[in-house]
Amino acid sequence: MVKSQKAVTNGLHTYRRPPLGRTLMQNKTLLLMCLPAIVFFFVFSYMPMPGAYIAFTNFQYNKGIWNSPFIGLQNFKFLFTSGQLGLLLRNTILYNLAFIVLGNVLQLLFAILLNEVQSKGFKKTTQSLMFLPYFISDVLVSLLVYNLLNYDYGFISNLVRNLGGEMPIVYQMPQAWPFIIVAVNLWKSTGYGTVVYFAAITSMDSSMMEAAQIDGANGFQRIRYITLPTLKPTVVILFLFAIGGILKGNFGLFYNLVGNNSILFNTTDIIETYVYRSMMNSFNFSQSSAVGLFQSVVGFFIVLGANAFVKKLDSDYALF
Amino acid sequence: MKKLVALLTALMMLVCALPVLSTAEEAPAVDTSEHVTITYLVTGDIPTDRTEEVLAKINEILNEKVNATLEIRWIEWTNWTTNYNLALATQSGDIDLIGTATDWLDAWPNTQRGAFLPLTEEMLQTYAPKTWESVPAEHWDLCKYNGEIYLIPEDNYAQWTNHGFMYRGDWAREAGLENGVHSWEDLGVYFQYIKDNKEGVWPWDADGNGSSYSPQMAGGWQASHTSNIVIEGFPVSLFYGNSKEDPYTLSRYYLEGDELVNFAKTMKSWADAGYWRTDVLNYTGAQDSLMKEGTSAARQHHTETWTGFRTDMEEAQPGSDLGFFFFGEETDNLVSLNITHGAMAVAYTSEHPDRALMVYDLLRNDPEIYRLMMYGIEGDMYTIDENGYMVRPEGFDSTTDGVTLNFWWGRNDDLGLRDADRDWEAIDELYARYDEIATTYPYGQIVFDLTNIQVYLDNISNVYNTYMPRIVFGLMDDPEAYVAEFRTQLQNAGIETVMEEIQNQLDAVYKQ
Amino acid sequence: MTTNSKAPAHVNHPTHVRLDTSDKIIRTVTYIFVGLFSLICVLPFWMIVASSFSSESAIRLTGFTLWPSEVSTYSYELLLRSPDQMIGAYVVTICLAVVGTAIGLFIISMTGYALQRKDFPYRNGIMFYIYFTSLFSAGLVPFYLLIVQTLNLRDSYFAILLPLLMSPWLIVLMKNFVKAIPHEITESGKIDGAGDFRIFYALVLPSLKPALATIGLFLALGYWNEWYYSSLFLTSQTEYRPLQYHLYNVINKVASLRNSVAGSNVTLTTELPSETLKMATAVLATGPIILLYPFVQKYFVAGLTVGSVKG
Repeated sequence: MVKSQKAVTNGLHTYRRPPLGRTLMQNKTLLLMCLPAIVFFFVFSYMPMPGAYIAFTNFQYNKGIWNSPFIGLQNFKFLFTSGQLGLLLRNTILYNLAFIVLGNVLQLLFAILLNEVQSKGFKKTTQSLMFLPYFISDVLVSLLVYNLLNYDYGFISNLVRNLGGEMPIVYQMPQAWPFIIVAVNLWKSTGYGTVVYFAAITSMDSSMMEAAQIDGANGFQRIRYITLPTLKPTVVILFLFAIGGILKGNFGLFYNLVGNNSILFNTTDIIETYVYRSMMNSFNFSQSSAVGLFQSVVGFFIVLGANAFVKKLDSDYALF
Repeated sequence: MKKLVALLTALMMLVCALPVLSTAEEAPAVDTSEHVTITYLVTGDIPTDRTEEVLAKINEILNEKVNATLEIRWIEWTNWTTNYNLALATQSGDIDLIGTATDWLDAWPNTQRGAFLPLTEEMLQTYAPKTWESVPAEHWDLCKYNGEIYLIPEDNYAQWTNHGFMYRGDWAREAGLENGVHSWEDLGVYFQYIKDNKEGVWPWDADGNGSSYSPQMAGGWQASHTSNIVIEGFPVSLFYGNSKEDPYTLSRYYLEGDELVNFAKTMKSWADAGYWRTDVLNYTGAQDSLMKEGTSAARQHHTETWTGFRTDMEEAQPGSDLGFFFFGEETDNLVSLNITHGAMAVAYTSEHPDRALMVYDLLRNDPEIYRLMMYGIEGDMYTIDENGYMVRPEGFDSTTDGVTLNFWWGRNDDLGLRDADRDWEAIDELYARYDEIATTYPYGQIVFDLTNIQVYLDNISNVYNTYMPRIVFGLMDDPEAYVAEFRTQLQNAGIETVMEEIQNQLDAVYKQ
Repeated sequence: MTTNSKAPAHVNHPTHVRLDTSDKIIRTVTYIFVGLFSLICVLPFWMIVASSFSSESAIRLTGFTLWPSEVSTYSYELLLRSPDQMIGAYVVTICLAVVGTAIGLFIISMTGYALQRKDFPYRNGIMFYIYFTSLFSAGLVPFYLLIVQTLNLRDSYFAILLPLLMSPWLIVLMKNFVKAIPHEITESGKIDGAGDFRIFYALVLPSLKPALATIGLFLALGYWNEWYYSSLFLTSQTEYRPLQYHLYNVINKVASLRNSVAGSNVTLTTELPSETLKMATAVLATGPIILLYPFVQKYFVAGLTVGSVKG
């Protein structure tokens, strides 16, 4: 909004902004088309939003959010006085970056490769199979991982022993877990993520592809000069969306895989799991809101920065 | 919104205040002309047995006696902590009675947050006269916060929820423990025997993936090797009084001394001996079925569980003669159950606190309703044998034929029946021992105010939940160094400040 | 239409364009790479299926295997003992998914279309308004109060249907898809003098099939996997609760207890779900949607835009 106003004033001096009423009328249909979504987000997101004030109060049930005593930043304190914040931020951010970067690379790769496949049967079967892990809940995933890796009876342990090898105790090796968690996350999310890119490829103008083929472009060239550029906006959008949640961790995944096995905490503890351990027996809505707010505010500024950066490169790709 | 809430609150207060005022002047003739629905909030899975049918019968009686219908709002176990607290925090007259507990359902923190309605003596006398009479004054004193009663205690029900180890008597005898397991040393002997002689059986196939073992095991060792008494009401189990002779001085067990180190050393030797899985901290096997199938030789839980499980085991593994070694057995260090281990509270926003109390009074004291609620329909779902025991009919399956109301907030031994299935001889023997040695819980009078130390407590909780699981399952190279590290971390998290504050609050109440 | 526009390209492909080495390399790499990854995805799932047919003690002592050592259908018998609950769960979930996806798709595509129109002056503002909600949420208590008190939706399926109708992410994704539609399509409409809504409805929507399929799939999956709102708002009954919530309860109950103070106080009198039962429930919940997926897939197979421009 701000930007567009600026553009108008910086533009032709003789040009005058049309009165608001007229602009509204002119865009009546488009506005109406947006109306359901606007109402939706107003009701389900903006209406409760002032309630985030709870993070600054000592929430009293009989007084409600608004009449509870205001205690400033007290609820944020425990996270900052923990002495763990550095480690938690490092882990949370690095895991998220790995998920975003590796996840997208893998998804892009599979989407492009699948697009090159001619065999319909192969395409359909593999895509369906890749989707399977998405449906397995975190509890079952952790059970699977345990049954593969546990020292006493694990599937892989048995395999290694049968081959005459020495199985390390994986559940006591902190250095192994970043790889395991990232692998599990990729395993779970790749099928789902590939669909986005795949749809983007299929909805692109295939006349270009045909022209390129007729011009004699080879497979690599087609991917490099046609497919990849078409996917650029999708990549950027995905990235911008993911970056806003850079401080928010996937509690279910981490908690179920690691649990209270503190041998692994150095490399696996994220903000969510830490908060859970600190508050599991002292339920406190205000504090959990405070942590969420902290994550959101940091994410918000990172997105603002990233969006401005993207806008500078190509305003078409920016989110807003 | 703000106004609405204020208005609503004001209205509620008016509604709540009215009956009190009127009864203060008039005789206890209660007006029940208006039919009301009383909603009772309880933790537990929504039953799929015959509960609905039984509830209808209960409601017939309630309708007739107090013109009220009882409705149940279940908080299912999945995500129950969030959902239970949410229900309390966002109540709007939609719940009336709330099942709570000071040790495991945060009754005092929730009282401090204003979730419950203070109950005046007049209210209790008028609307719950039988309960009022049966609970002695000193028990009501234990239910007060800032001088007002908030909880109705379950104080006439014998139960023990002190933890310990269940073990197989048959295997213990094979191991040379003629009288069974009665100490941690015996337990070690038993475990080693299983390890050496029972192929395919884990001495204790523990599901270490969870937080509940830490306080139980660590506290268990402490009970067996010191005279310390646990103080309830903290999010983390680190605060103990010295002994029953000197209960109001805080013990420094977790900060100094050798006993915690000994515990760590013993557990490490047990872990190294392979008494549980190498990856125990990530294992989730269901303890009851493991034991029933005979692949685990022990289970750690409380006495009440043992009383029922002994029967189950006899069925699954005939001759198993399930015994129970309770923590503190060596030193006779046992504290009887706090009477607010189960308690009923009235919701702050309840529109009919008077009727809610009347309903509760009946649930707790009316023989017909009580037995319907606890056991079901007489003659159909159970019969009473010549010894006065309750007998289930042939082929009775509790998952489909039983009744589940999870009424853990006012059970009444005057009306209760003993399940003929259970081995009462063994149970009574243990109970007699308990009664002989148990001391009363010494901290019932105090409700701690944690406001100023909450930040420290959160950090301390994290340290505890980080270090304790590894100590409990012996997963460290050097126990001495690890315990030292744990203690340093507790210091860094501010445990001295917290202990000072707790000591001050204890002194304020108990040291005149 | 799909096959019409696509078939020629396919048939012509080998004859018109020669297959050079790079194509062969890509193809080989694809088969190996994709094939391998699919195997990695399917093997663990197969282990779940195999163990759901195992006996409980076999799993305990040998872990998961590729083939059950002792075949047992006990878990399935247990699950299907009360088929009403399972069937009810399916019906509810499918209804929610169908209705929610249809409404959601319509609103999302409409909004996506309006927001990508360069001549729409409020697009950035509205986009920010929508995106902002993905960063900040009010937290649990205010949201719960909104649903239960303001909207009065406790124990109503609307409490699940409504919040899942759309998300900022799906709107942005849709906006991007619409952007990719060649301008000729909308221009042709403008020349014909069609109104904005008509252009959207008659020209844009038909050429959005891959996008609708994608976003529809995501919406449907959202409804299919929903358990969280159900656990918050559907409190009063066990019949006709959404499928995943039903299963979530089976799978997570013990974990929830084990990780809380209640675990050391409460003894569950009912039978605890065994590992095999957890596996069996997972199979029953996942199976059907796997069968559904190929139907959605046909929309991903080829570009439809060509067809609609030319046709």
